[in-house]
Amino acid sequence: MVITKDHIGGLAFLCLSAAYGYYTGDIPMLPGDEYEPFNAQTLPTVLAFMGGILSIALILNASKNGGERLSLQGYDFAIVIKLLVLVILFGVALEWIGFLLSTILFLVGGYWVLGERRWKTLLIASVPFGLFIWFSLSQLLDIYLAPGRLITMLFGG
Amino acid sequence: MLDGIFVGLSTAIMPFNIMMVVVGCFAGTFIGMLPGLGPISAVALMIPITYGLDPSSGIILMAGVYYGAVFGGSTSSILINAPGCSSTVVTSFDGYPIAQRGQAGKALALAAYCSFTGGTVGAIILLFAAPALATVSLSFQSGDYFALMVLGLTAVAAFSGKGQVIKAMIMTVFGLMIATMGTDVMTGVPRFTFGNLDLLDGVSFLLLAMATFALTEVIMSVMKGQHLEKDPEINMAALGSMKLSKEEVKEVAPTVARSSVFGFIIGVLPGAGATIASFLAYGMERNFASAKEKLKFGKGALRGLAAPETANNAASTGSFVPLLTLGIPGSGTTAIMLGALIAAGVQPGPRLFVDNPDVFWSVIISMYFGNLVLLILNLPLIPYISRLLAIPRQILIPLILFFSVTGVYLVSFNTFDIQMMVFITVIALFLKMLDFPMAPMLLGYILGDIMEQNLSRSMVLSDGSLSFLWERPLTLTIMIIAIILLVMPLISKLLGKRNKTAAS
Repeated sequence: MVITKDHIGGLAFLCLSAAYGYYTGDIPMLPGDEYEPFNAQTLPTVLAFMGGILSIALILNASKNGGERLSLQGYDFAIVIKLLVLVILFGVALEWIGFLLSTILFLVGGYWVLGERRWKTLLIASVPFGLFIWFSLSQLLDIYLAPGRLITMLFGG
Repeated sequence: MLDGIFVGLSTAIMPFNIMMVVVGCFAGTFIGMLPGLGPISAVALMIPITYGLDPSSGIILMAGVYYGAVFGGSTSSILINAPGCSSTVVTSFDGYPIAQRGQAGKALALAAYCSFTGGTVGAIILLFAAPALATVSLSFQSGDYFALMVLGLTAVAAFSGKGQVIKAMIMTVFGLMIATMGTDVMTGVPRFTFGNLDLLDGVSFLLLAMATFALTEVIMSVMKGQHLEKDPEINMAALGSMKLSKEEVKEVAPTVARSSVFGFIIGVLPGAGATIASFLAYGMERNFASAKEKLKFGKGALRGLAAPETANNAASTGSFVPLLTLGIPGSGTTAIMLGALIAAGVQPGPRLFVDNPDVFWSVIISMYFGNLVLLILNLPLIPYISRLLAIPRQILIPLILFFSVTGVYLVSFNTFDIQMMVFITVIALFLKMLDFPMAPMLLGYILGDIMEQNLSRSMVLSDGSLSFLWERPLTLTIMIIAIILLVMPLISKLLGKRNKTAAS
């Protein structure tokens, strides 16, 4: 049997529906709610069943029709991981070093990951842009941007 | 109705709102030109901006971006044979060959005129159709609403293309599942929060839309190595004249008229949208053509360019009918607009016409302006706007990533949202690799809450019985249509099989 994209997708959703159905039982209910025609668990229970039935239908259909196999060739996963890690780091940096610095670092990092190596371009495309965004947000639009914990610790609040 | 038109006109011609249309059209054209980023991504990127605006200004901006993006998509289809979005794929069939003949200017102008006509005819029909439908839908009860939501969700699945129906339905259920996360609106108990305080509010619409449509699309293009491709040089000097001769206008006029009305009708059907409209209009035009003209299709026929261009804009306008009158989006893009309106405290649906006439009418009126801006301002500026495409991808991609991430962060100021975005992006990438469509999920998510409330209300009113589904003729009719839509692909498959056996 050939494992197609539909098999993988169907199986993934079957697991998801099972887990969803399992955790549906954990939803707390108000006293007496279990006798009501509609409570907090009703829709999730229906959805879990629907998800299960549809995933099984997808799996069964996949074996009958045959389908495309999942090919991982031609995809550059390394760069995706680098970019996503960069986004997470940006989130962490926002808390510690504030908006302006993290924006500049994020952009420089992004250009670097995508292959830009000239320092001049890296800086020209990030510093003025970061300053411009920071200035328009904090000065023009009067949005409070926390300076970052590290900055507060070093220089005081 | 006349009062309404004046309310709409006075809102739409406020200098700020006119500026929104202009800005929206430009931003949309630019984003729409970038291959891979279509109207959905363009509109998603605008959500954070609309949070700070009036609901009517916000939706005017989004409508402008929507038209702009569809137009921008056709521009890149014609100039570099790289459709910016699925609804302009057909445009490249005949648009690019015309451009290759050295008549790119003519092709662009024709596309702009056709878009304008399609959009304007669509807007005029909308002007009459929407209030009529809204008046009828005022008599809707909660059971009817529930049936309508079911219809909206099944329609999206039914129109999702061959072999994709089950996948689209699974994604709809997935969207409904995500909608159940967070505090239950009816009873106030937490659901699927796993004790995490950040999840008490559930997954926000903005976060989901940005992660699945902006972030995922950009990362997907990087994953496929598109950032390494050199942009084809666009030779602006070879654009050629933008004028159409009298004979040419005569040739395409009937096509444009047919495709406008046809596109609008397809656009009104929930779930069909601009892509299907453009494909069908192209097919229809080919059938209308004489045997000799048929051969020209695909090799640079003016009618082949005019039909899809007119139809996709008319359909974009048409998809506002179900959005404004029933609260059911006709496409992924209008689904995002629906979410943004709900977030702004406006509930689209039959009551919108009564409760927020300014939003209702100003959207319709600003559609004329949007089309006008595209024709008067965008067309002459196309050579300049397309220069922006010369910005290297290594620079452009991190900037788009930055805008999508900060767009979410600047609304909640919670860095947990950024991590959540990455998590959702990873799931969305996996699902996209398995060919699961994303729009049904977003639709399920947006309609989830309203659907649950209406279902709960109807169940309580009918004392726990499901009889409300068939007691009122209206509810019954809507449910029957939904069921027909759902089993239609199955029946056509069975019929196809029978024909095959009969033939053999």
